[in-house]
Amino acid sequence: MSGKTASLSAEPISAADGRSLESRAPTPWELRQIEAAPKSRNRIAADRATCALPLVLAAAVLAQYKLTPNLNDAATTDVYTCFILLLASAVLVKFVMSFFSKKTFEKLLEKAPLYTAAFLFFALYDYATIKTGILPLPYFPWPDRILNGIYEDRALLLDCIKNSLILLFSGYFAGAAIGLLTGLSAGLSRRVRYWVLPLIQILGPIPSTTWLPIILIVAASLFGGSVFLIALGVWYPVTMTSMQGVLNIPKANFEAARILGAGKARLLFRVALPAAMPNIFQGLTQGMSVACTALMVAEMMGVESGLGWYINWQRGWAEFAKMYGAVIVICVTFSVVNFLLSLVKRRVLRWQEGYWN
Amino acid sequence: MTARAGHVSLENVTKIFARADLNSTLVALEGVSMEIRPAEFVSIVGTSGCGKSTLLRIIAGLETATFGRAYCDGELIAGTNPKRGLVFQEHSLFPWLSVRENIAFGLRATGRYRSGAGLVDALISIVGLSEFADSYPHQLSGGMRQRVSLVRALVVSPDVLLLDEPLGALDSFTRMNIQDELLKLWNEHKNTMILITHDVDEAIYLSQRIYIMSPRPGRIAGEIPLRMSYPRNRSSSEFVNVRNEILRRLDFAKEEQEEYNL
Repeated sequence: MSGKTASLSAEPISAADGRSLESRAPTPWELRQIEAAPKSRNRIAADRATCALPLVLAAAVLAQYKLTPNLNDAATTDVYTCFILLLASAVLVKFVMSFFSKKTFEKLLEKAPLYTAAFLFFALYDYATIKTGILPLPYFPWPDRILNGIYEDRALLLDCIKNSLILLFSGYFAGAAIGLLTGLSAGLSRRVRYWVLPLIQILGPIPSTTWLPIILIVAASLFGGSVFLIALGVWYPVTMTSMQGVLNIPKANFEAARILGAGKARLLFRVALPAAMPNIFQGLTQGMSVACTALMVAEMMGVESGLGWYINWQRGWAEFAKMYGAVIVICVTFSVVNFLLSLVKRRVLRWQEGYWN
Repeated sequence: MTARAGHVSLENVTKIFARADLNSTLVALEGVSMEIRPAEFVSIVGTSGCGKSTLLRIIAGLETATFGRAYCDGELIAGTNPKRGLVFQEHSLFPWLSVRENIAFGLRATGRYRSGAGLVDALISIVGLSEFADSYPHQLSGGMRQRVSLVRALVVSPDVLLLDEPLGALDSFTRMNIQDELLKLWNEHKNTMILITHDVDEAIYLSQRIYIMSPRPGRIAGEIPLRMSYPRNRSSSEFVNVRNEILRRLDFAKEEQEEYNL
């Protein structure tokens, strides 16, 4: 919404303010503001309190952490303090801004219960671990230990992220490229479909990780074998969806292209491929989750680097804090990867919005 | 475009479709012969299911005649050719391309994009869509979409433009507007126009000659030449007479309606 901000005191647009309505149509957000019933004074006060609640909980987390005695006088660091302060100050910035921007206020109001729940979780988890030991060590390390574990191993973890991503994307792109090739050609040609369909029907139901024990023995290099494993897992959904995507294309699209003089290559790359993109992206998303699973299994079973290897290695040392740390790093890494994929998807499919309604 | 290009001739064309589900065949067209001169505007009217679309698809090269032959400028029609453009009823624009890119598709496919890029914008402005050149098809109204379809087919300067009920899905105001635009484009391009329609008024308003088709199997039931000058008045007595004549031949005449409405 192009950075337009609205303060609570001076509404930017209202039913009474006819001038701004005449010059342009209201944005959807402004429309909701115009049509919404005015809030009572009490309601506004309650909403402000809701927005402040995460901050109260954050203060409670810190008070408990710093001021109450630890179980067995366990030593703690301020890494966790900094972590909580970082989260809390992000909320605080939004809270202050919410007095000046109505939009920020509404966003914060919507998210505040979630933030509150997050801080409540930290408070309860601290209470159950470091303060009382209801959840015992070593299985349930407290957040401070986990954060310290990540910090200690940061160089190794970065290296593991790098190795994991190299393996992930080598397999992913190989599988996606071959899947696209088989899927598109099977969608376009009955003869190719004749040969590809049975292959899909046989290989499809086998989870790609099933092949791992065989690959571990047969493959000349573990890396190559794991790339193959991940690629196989990605190949199946991408082939299926791109074939289905081509079969779903309205015949008129192909006929129009042929009449305008399109040859075989143009029909494939300029008609079939873009028209099937919505389906293909379903396969690419599905393939990414399969690839992440296959990556973890491959790294835990054989490959001697990467995040899956790291978590397994730390298990050998019974370093529970570092295992939890690895889980968090894996979560962040895969979230970023999936976010990037969704950005690409939104860019490629921007023509699609509302079309299939 | 050479002066005398765009001659279409059909000799005894019969088209039989296989019906996969019923293990039987269906005669869609039987013994259709017609002769269409270059730069002529011809309409084919008939009730739905009379095979008029099949006829057009044979001329376009999308279907092959079972018996008989179809020629364009003396050459046997085999497969599609950019010389014979086709405008579909609806939903044939490429949804992943903007208006400009949809129109440029034919130029790119025939390797004429470099020399014809200016033509794209010129045509967009002729049909009044300059503001929407970068919009996607789903952002346009039905009338705008058909204007784009029309221009997309015209950009490669086809000798013959086949129109398969291009205005069938539009409201009557938009339809009349685009009919006038069609006449304007025809005057400028001087190409052969073959229009399929179930709207008798549209056929009379636009064409120099009307073929009437009867259904099951599709046959040519009659041919009506029109000598009225353009632009035509939809309420003139001549217009109304022709309309009645066509409706009578299509078995929709008033007497029979009354009999039907007992």
